[in-house]
Amino acid sequence: MLKKSTKETLKVVLSGMDERTRKTLTLYLHGPCKAAGVTIVDFLEADLEIIDADLREGRLLLSKRFSETLHRPLIVLSLQEISREGVFYIKKPVQVESMLAALDKIRTQLRQLQQNRSIASAKPGLLKEKESSTNSRTSPITNHQVSEPTKKQLEVDASERNKSAKHQTAMQLSDKGFSVLSAGLEPLDINNIEQLKRAAYNPKEYFQGFVQSAIKVAKDRDQVLQLHTGWKLMLILPRSNEIWLDADDKQLRAFSGLAINKNSSKKMSISWPDPKLILNGALDKFQNMEAIVWKLACWTSKGRYPRHIDIERPVYLKQWPNLTRLVVTPHALRIAALLIDKPVAPIKIAGLLHIKPEYVFVFISAASALGLLKQSDRNADCDILPPELKPNRNKSLLSRIIDKLRVNKLNGLDSNEPI
Amino acid sequence: MSQYKIIFTGPVGAGKTTAIQSISDIAPIKTDAAASDMTKSRKAGTTVAMDYGVMNLAGGEKLHLYGTPGQERFDFMWDILTSGGIGLILLLDNTRTDPFQDMKFFLEAFSDFIEKTQVAIGVTQMDLSSRPVINDYHKKLKEMDMNIPVFTVDARVKNDVSLLIQALLYSLDPGLEA
Repeated sequence: MLKKSTKETLKVVLSGMDERTRKTLTLYLHGPCKAAGVTIVDFLEADLEIIDADLREGRLLLSKRFSETLHRPLIVLSLQEISREGVFYIKKPVQVESMLAALDKIRTQLRQLQQNRSIASAKPGLLKEKESSTNSRTSPITNHQVSEPTKKQLEVDASERNKSAKHQTAMQLSDKGFSVLSAGLEPLDINNIEQLKRAAYNPKEYFQGFVQSAIKVAKDRDQVLQLHTGWKLMLILPRSNEIWLDADDKQLRAFSGLAINKNSSKKMSISWPDPKLILNGALDKFQNMEAIVWKLACWTSKGRYPRHIDIERPVYLKQWPNLTRLVVTPHALRIAALLIDKPVAPIKIAGLLHIKPEYVFVFISAASALGLLKQSDRNADCDILPPELKPNRNKSLLSRIIDKLRVNKLNGLDSNEPI
Repeated sequence: MSQYKIIFTGPVGAGKTTAIQSISDIAPIKTDAAASDMTKSRKAGTTVAMDYGVMNLAGGEKLHLYGTPGQERFDFMWDILTSGGIGLILLLDNTRTDPFQDMKFFLEAFSDFIEKTQVAIGVTQMDLSSRPVINDYHKKLKEMDMNIPVFTVDARVKNDVSLLIQALLYSLDPGLEA
């Protein structure tokens, strides 16, 4: 009979598994393995990761892990032998002895790593060396701190997180609210093509560009990252598709509207989060990643369009944005429905829908920031477009239903303020 | 006077009754009964005939809101309910074992009606089960050659249900002006 382990329990994250396998393995670690490991949900918090390589999801994840630097010990369960440096292979059917032996080795390894880190932190030069070898390949943002925190305190109970603002229904921006947002910018004249062409901005010159760039790095590396801006603390959590931001919407709107000069942009960097960071109790600051990027794009755009889009060539939507969880800009649903139906040049959308060009541009800025908007190669799509849309035979009825639904909106959801 | 209606469908417990309740101008007429079959594992009461609500429109017309019973054994009613409908709202419960299978089932069951009108999908219970995500639904829909609105919906929240219906209506005619 196995003795009850008196050693420290390791925190294990189970990846690439279906619910049933996950539950079985959780019980296995708790029971036969005498709680040598306890499963947790948050990747960031885990001491090690276990992947079942015989499952499709697990196989895909494993090849991803093999293509990058491993940041935590990895146990691979499989019928087929897998030999790779730094990976602990356990042949199926998994024996308790094999699992305990692997966990023991990992425990020793982690202890050793912690000791090395203590030495490294006493010698800043060591970190500097590491910094230059791991600079970001994909981002203009620089890494300046690469050591992984030894004790992270970022985990928040999953059920608690469900109470946070990220599940709130969409805020709707009325025409008046939009006017406040775009105050200071010259109103656009739909018939002045040259003026419309000038109404462009470069997202990379604003906070929006830096956030998008940091998200890309975090997703590529599958790591939690902190974006240093000299402003408010921002953490990017790619696995849960969330951003933790220590600022409210008003503060974010003000900051996102300011162009970032070259001196300030040099101060922008990403790193592992500060290990001493405690986020507990700040659940309202977790936001869905898409929702925050969409907002940022709206507030940066203020009715202008991103420079990389040619407004004379047709664009289309790959799919509907999840508009119940995003800021609903004026006429967003109509623009979305049109661009799902057929590619249309942005310069023509306002005329077709009889709306202000600013409403079109703010929408395409936000949709483009989420990667939902594509430029069509088919110029012909634009040429064949009729000057007016063919109305539905029930148009009058449908309009009255829309009227009713808009009147029905809950107080406070239709914002005259740009949030 | 013409009778216009929007149909709410989806599996048991997806929130059809609640969604109708959220936007109806009258107290909805519910035909819930204590569940006695497998439905019992998901909710204590279930709709056995249909739900009914009304939106009063300007000019005295009414928009009728019909919720289909979720259980498949009542599918004989679906054809009757959809007759004269202007569109379909499909609500899917994200905590179900295979919500994609539900989606496929209902889209196929209502395919004739959808072909003549439009459909919008609301995914409920995403606060309880965050996976699959909305993008996963779009991927599955692409395989079915469909590109339709799919929104996260809390059926208790009027704004969510309202946006979903608006997306359905604008899909029918993006030129509509409020």
